[in-house]
Amino acid sequence: MSSWVERAWKKGIVTTSYPAEPATEEEAPPSGRAPQVADCSSFAAFAAAAESHCPTRAIGASGLDQGKCIRCSRCLPSGFRAAAELEAASGGRSSLLWIDGVPPKSTAAPAPLAPIGRSITVFLMDAGSCNACNLEVLALANPYYDAHRLGISFTNSPRHADVLVVVGVPTAGLVEPLKRTYEAMPSPKAVLAVGACAIDGGIFENTPGLDSTVRSVVPVDLFVSGCPPPPLAVLDGILRLAGRDRTRSGGSP
Amino acid sequence: MSAPPPAGGSVPARALTYVDAERTLALRTDYERKETIFERPPELSSEDLGLVEHWQARGRPHRLPVGESVEGYGVFTFPYGPVTMGVPESGAFDIRTYGERVLELVPEVGYKSRRIASAVVGRVPADALLRVERFAGNFSASHAAAFLGAVEVANGIRVPEEELWTRALAQELQRVYNHVRLIARVAEAASQNVGLAQAHALAEESLRLMARTFGHRWAFGAFAPGNRFRRLGPDDRRALGERLRAYDREFASLWELFLGSRTFIDRIQSTALVSRADAIRWGAVGPTLRASGVAWDDRLRAPSPPYTDLFVPLAQGSEGDALARVLVREEEVRSSLLLVEQMLDRWTSVRGGEYVPRPPVEPGRGIVRLEAPSGDLVYDVRLADGRVAALGVRTPSQVNWPLFALGMRGAVFTDFHFALESFGLAFADTDG
Repeated sequence: MSSWVERAWKKGIVTTSYPAEPATEEEAPPSGRAPQVADCSSFAAFAAAAESHCPTRAIGASGLDQGKCIRCSRCLPSGFRAAAELEAASGGRSSLLWIDGVPPKSTAAPAPLAPIGRSITVFLMDAGSCNACNLEVLALANPYYDAHRLGISFTNSPRHADVLVVVGVPTAGLVEPLKRTYEAMPSPKAVLAVGACAIDGGIFENTPGLDSTVRSVVPVDLFVSGCPPPPLAVLDGILRLAGRDRTRSGGSP
Repeated sequence: MSAPPPAGGSVPARALTYVDAERTLALRTDYERKETIFERPPELSSEDLGLVEHWQARGRPHRLPVGESVEGYGVFTFPYGPVTMGVPESGAFDIRTYGERVLELVPEVGYKSRRIASAVVGRVPADALLRVERFAGNFSASHAAAFLGAVEVANGIRVPEEELWTRALAQELQRVYNHVRLIARVAEAASQNVGLAQAHALAEESLRLMARTFGHRWAFGAFAPGNRFRRLGPDDRRALGERLRAYDREFASLWELFLGSRTFIDRIQSTALVSRADAIRWGAVGPTLRASGVAWDDRLRAPSPPYTDLFVPLAQGSEGDALARVLVREEEVRSSLLLVEQMLDRWTSVRGGEYVPRPPVEPGRGIVRLEAPSGDLVYDVRLADGRVAALGVRTPSQVNWPLFALGMRGAVFTDFHFALESFGLAFADTDG
């Protein structure tokens, strides 16, 4: 017993100070890096060069769709550079389309959970993921992120949940369970689609047999892009639903 | 020769029978001389080629019964899943019970099927790889290495040895992550909250090591067919080596505390027993098989570079319970760290070397077996005109479900999570 205490003492505090402080390089690792154009005046030239390399058609003449991007880095040799911007990587579906490769000026999304505010209960629903997104969402419970310090806790039943976090591309067997999970939640409620698969299907878009997207089954309030998004991006998305994210609160959640 | 499958049961055709299971017992590890000793030369045998009858992902939920259904007074079916946070994935279980004990458990898999094996047909290997590494995110390095290995055998491409070492390094780091996370999950089931937090933190640290070394927490996009996508420089290797030594010390001290906790050990001791005979008959793989007393590790039994050049300690148990499986995984965390250390020490000696893959079993077809964190992973790739013509995958989770179902017979409900976590099964890995 005492040895456990000693160990915890020696380990010290490892918890991040996000959102009071900006995320560090370790906390917002390269897997959360979205491509961004180095010089936006020449987006058209970059897009023309990179379009054919993009496996998910996230890059087009109209802009860069963060929601479709799976961060495979194939476009990087064409002039894109990686950028770690947690806040810019989530928002409504239209705000994820970066016209001319630059993030929209205002990404302030509605905050459906603002009335609840400070205690948010999350239910995680796997609609057909590869497990990476699941594990990144569940990592919020580990001491490095400790979402509980912000009043965010996980529940085992949708009937106790305020936020439904959906990961993965809805498979044939899970469309109906997804719908019923959403219906089982009490109001007010919000849906957070996490990861490229849950946004438009990601790498599995246009795969025969996978005809649904999460937003065609349940109404989605906010999308978090990435493949998978790092835990802090998910945390930022949840805080956004309550109007408590960094961009809005200036770091005091 | 192992016993034939029971009549009436649905032993899948994919199950691997361990023809020489008795002889593999002669394997042993000599730590002083730093070698693991075989009785027979390791090579791909005809038995391995029998694995071509793969699991067919059906794209819809289906049950995996292990024998006749249990009937009796007051016996009813308790459905669990597919949507539950107790299991952080979507998959279901039909539990036959009279209220106290689990008389029979039938896993229902296929909910998450994305039909990756058919989705990659007609694509060039580089594009197929993007889907293959998303087969199971937490085993991505193993899936990527197996697929690329099979493509290289099919094409007869020479591979830089450094590339193979880099792939093995990613696999070992991911093995550490998976095993540590599994220990955290078992601690969570046992309500060992301090231990859970400590183990959870260690799991996060291994993901960060992965991100630092390979540019991605799950090693997605770290490899590409034939050539090296990311080079590990001397600074990368030095930093990784230093962090791993600290990691090893911290893990060792944490495990000592777990071993000292009676409540933790009591909950997993003699839980979900898998006998050696059952493990062999149902073709168990990985730590599940080794914990039941069969010395079988693909890194030793069917090794490919760099494992042919390294000292691979064999982790083996004999009791076949959840404790034995957790102990095997704990030993493997240490052995993986030792393997990485050996690789880092000898990294410069492989520079410039090339590995010529063995000839394909038939033109344009490559089969690769390797040891994923949860066991033996088989990829069977057929190429035509430089594109994937067919892909067969047999994953450790697919073959280990019946063992979990057998282990749960007669257990009480509260054993469910200890049992499930100790097998390290993943629905994503099953369904693909």
